[in-house]
Amino acid sequence: MTVAIVLLTLFGSAWLLAVIEGWTVTGRLQPAAPLLSGLAHLGRESIVPRSPDRVFFEAAPVLLLVVAVLGAAVLPLAPDLVIADLGTGALFINAALAYVLVALIMAGWGPNGAYAMIGGWRFLGQLIAYSMLIVMPITAVAMRAESLVNTAIVGSQADLWNIVYQPLGFVLFYIAAMALAFRSPFDLPTAEGELAGGVDAEYTGVRLAVLRLARLTLVVTLAAATTVFYLGGWHGPLLPPWAWSLIKTLAVAVSMLLAGGYLPRIREADLMRWCWTLGIPLALLNIVIVGLLILVVP
Amino acid sequence: MTSDPTMTLLGARHQKRPSALKKLVSRVMARNLSCLIVPGPEVALAHGLDVTAAGMRIAATPRDAGVLLIIGELSQKMDEVVAVLYAQMPRPRATLVLGGPAPSSLPHPDVSAGLSQEELTEAVGRVQRAMAEGAFAASPEDFDASVLHVRIEYVCPMHPEVVQDEPGSCPKCGMDLVAHEAGEDEGATEEASGHHGHDHEHHHDHEQQHDGSDGHSEDEHSGHEHDHGASGFMSMIEVTKDLSRSADGLQMDWLEVPFGPVFPGLPGGLKLTFTLDGDGVTGGQATSLAGMTTEGEDFEEVDAGTFIDHLASAMPLAPVSYRLLACLAIEQAAGLNDDPATTQARNAALERERIASHLGWLAQVGRQLGFAWLTHRASTLQLQFRDANRNRFVELEPALRALGTRLGRTPLLKARLKGIGVLSTESSDLRGPVARAANEGGDAWARLWQRLAEISASFDLIKGAGEPELPSLRDIGGVSGTGEATVDTPRGEANLRLKLARGHVKSYKLDTACSHHIGLVEKLVEGRELGDALVAVGSLDLSPWEVIP
Amino acid sequence: MGVLEQYSLLLALAVGIAGTVFGVYGLARLMGPTRPEPGKDVPASAGVLSRDPVWGRYHARYYGYALLFLAFDMEMAFMYPWAVVYKEVGLVALLDMGVFLAILFLGLLYGWSQGALRRQ
Repeated sequence: MTVAIVLLTLFGSAWLLAVIEGWTVTGRLQPAAPLLSGLAHLGRESIVPRSPDRVFFEAAPVLLLVVAVLGAAVLPLAPDLVIADLGTGALFINAALAYVLVALIMAGWGPNGAYAMIGGWRFLGQLIAYSMLIVMPITAVAMRAESLVNTAIVGSQADLWNIVYQPLGFVLFYIAAMALAFRSPFDLPTAEGELAGGVDAEYTGVRLAVLRLARLTLVVTLAAATTVFYLGGWHGPLLPPWAWSLIKTLAVAVSMLLAGGYLPRIREADLMRWCWTLGIPLALLNIVIVGLLILVVP
Repeated sequence: MTSDPTMTLLGARHQKRPSALKKLVSRVMARNLSCLIVPGPEVALAHGLDVTAAGMRIAATPRDAGVLLIIGELSQKMDEVVAVLYAQMPRPRATLVLGGPAPSSLPHPDVSAGLSQEELTEAVGRVQRAMAEGAFAASPEDFDASVLHVRIEYVCPMHPEVVQDEPGSCPKCGMDLVAHEAGEDEGATEEASGHHGHDHEHHHDHEQQHDGSDGHSEDEHSGHEHDHGASGFMSMIEVTKDLSRSADGLQMDWLEVPFGPVFPGLPGGLKLTFTLDGDGVTGGQATSLAGMTTEGEDFEEVDAGTFIDHLASAMPLAPVSYRLLACLAIEQAAGLNDDPATTQARNAALERERIASHLGWLAQVGRQLGFAWLTHRASTLQLQFRDANRNRFVELEPALRALGTRLGRTPLLKARLKGIGVLSTESSDLRGPVARAANEGGDAWARLWQRLAEISASFDLIKGAGEPELPSLRDIGGVSGTGEATVDTPRGEANLRLKLARGHVKSYKLDTACSHHIGLVEKLVEGRELGDALVAVGSLDLSPWEVIP
Repeated sequence: MGVLEQYSLLLALAVGIAGTVFGVYGLARLMGPTRPEPGKDVPASAGVLSRDPVWGRYHARYYGYALLFLAFDMEMAFMYPWAVVYKEVGLVALLDMGVFLAILFLGLLYGWSQGALRRQ
């Protein structure tokens, strides 16, 4: 039962996100558009490139979707509305999201095409850049909550949200989450202007539909993770807990979506340099600051 | 025709049994059309066509497209490109040809129409009907073209010059010949091709990145150094022996990748081929596939008016400038004096086109940089400015200023463009905005601001001058003579020299800025990262039509 | 729920999603198979047919960063349990991990000075 509700919320949020994305592009609110577009993809041929790595080619979109769903499965919508409240929930999210890299490298290597392969390997570079910026803020969050259990992490923010307690961590996590979801300005693996679609390029028909759904769901999962770690999860007055979770998740997801349209793509060299020379020292500083705050403030 | 009850698609999917689901899906597909524009979306904007307003989404690759939208008449080489793109689109697929004869490589277009927004919208309606009814057909035909054919050759991995049409073993070393696909029209890419694929990790095919001529002799020499042994195992030293070293000393595989005629963000018709070492460019070649086929040799005498129309239609990205150029040259040949009124109106039209052209370039930059807001804004402004009269100009001024300020305040844009594609004043052959920006640093960032400054300057010029008017030839009668004119087109100075004989143009010689700029591409991209190289090429604002071979 | 139950639920979820996706693939197959035509299966490369396979030794330029990443990743593996018991242990925990982080940070600085933190 819980599974059904959480999955429904997840895919419903992905659908809402697609509607809002369509709204920003065309200026019209078309609720049926994502579903119809998915149906249209179903009608088109699915082309398999010549001499592919068939296993990789088929597995990549499926793996991306599974990863997004597994990540969402450990995130609580409300104190009792979580599919699996693991004892190492925060760590599990990290582990699941690491498979986004595997999926993209498979999508890059599988089709045996130049654009896709370059896109895949570029994403590996991107992971090396953002990965520490996801893990270190999560550590700081776990320090405050004294636990890796996601419901406990939300519980620790009952009086003060982490975004106020650890703003530096929030900024780093938010940026790294956008890089993980390879949304603009971090869309190096699927750059339209540089790689003509890159990793997405060789998928057509139903596989493309699954890939696009997986990307949207990944954004929702990351937005939910941001909400749980930094925005106090379900805490809020008046409305029921799941409503607050939903509102916050959608707000973060929409902001991630919109930021992309107003920024040019970052250069790969810049991304890596800034993350390692600026981002990681700041993340370490964040841990130290949070550590001091925890000891000093009762 | 529109009265036809059942519309068929050439690129329909096969259906054995019609079903309700297929009908539903056909109708949904008709509502969700995405189109790949050949030569490129910038050409659509230059003709004043708003494809998204007509009801189709613009796709970046043929894999994502359901409709192949062909605008204008294409050169023969582009016809082959169209065949390749069409073959790579998943079915159901449709072709829509606007404003020109259908390419010879496609059987016949599904829908054709003229070059105006109304006709485009109506044509899209017809495509939608055809898709809704004809997406699934009983017996569709396969699409075939000579450019798509494969000939399997068998090559020895160690001796690339040993090529046979049947499997067997190499006469030189006895190794099994490996199957290798070779296209029928090989051309420059095949000869310059650096690397074949690796079927099996112990059999490597090494070819140096030299110019094709001495490639084979090197390999013959190096081939004998490989020690295969019984199992065919090669140590890493042998494996990497002939690979070229990159800047950091590593020997890796180099790929020859086309960023060819129809690539999002680059001008359509520009065939760009990079030799990639990982994601760094080690060599690049740029040629134009869309250029004018007749230079001056097999040129028949034409009437002056026809010549002007031909020249203007041959340059779809800057028709007004070339029309003005031809008018000035012909009038000078005819000995006519300048008329201040027409000169003012013509200059206003020229400046209007400069603004539209630079806005079109900005839209391309937006596409290349993944900067969706810029693409959208610049496209909208370009469509509005393209045929605006003076009053409209005054109304649109704040939007233009806002664009400039917004660009100045965009984070990451400066980091993206600064130091990319540096062309200093020492490089010869620079013209137009590229040359003027060379004084300010000569990188892509300087070129961006140079073009924005030119937009403002053009704007002020138009406000001072009168109503813009398309250049039209004044009455010259049947005179003879030689004329020469230079016009500062949006991409640089273009020079036209022609000979008139009894009111007909006998011969002409055209020199454009893009013919010179295209030669800069090679030096510009060498050693750069892929994204930087593409941005550098994009910042040159090449128009493949203006490249005179 | 016991831990084993939770993990088996997650596994079932993963398998279920994969199964649904393959079911959707089957639905798409109802529309008909993909028609094999010449040139259709060549990876799309901007209008030029490039048939040669591209698998090979890819020159990744970020190996300097990758080496440092390994070190930091190992560090993060230690930091997760440390974070959980941090408040309990108090100042000593901060000092212990502070030393560890400082050593790693010095490693980062060293790599930076030697030119590891740039596109190679």
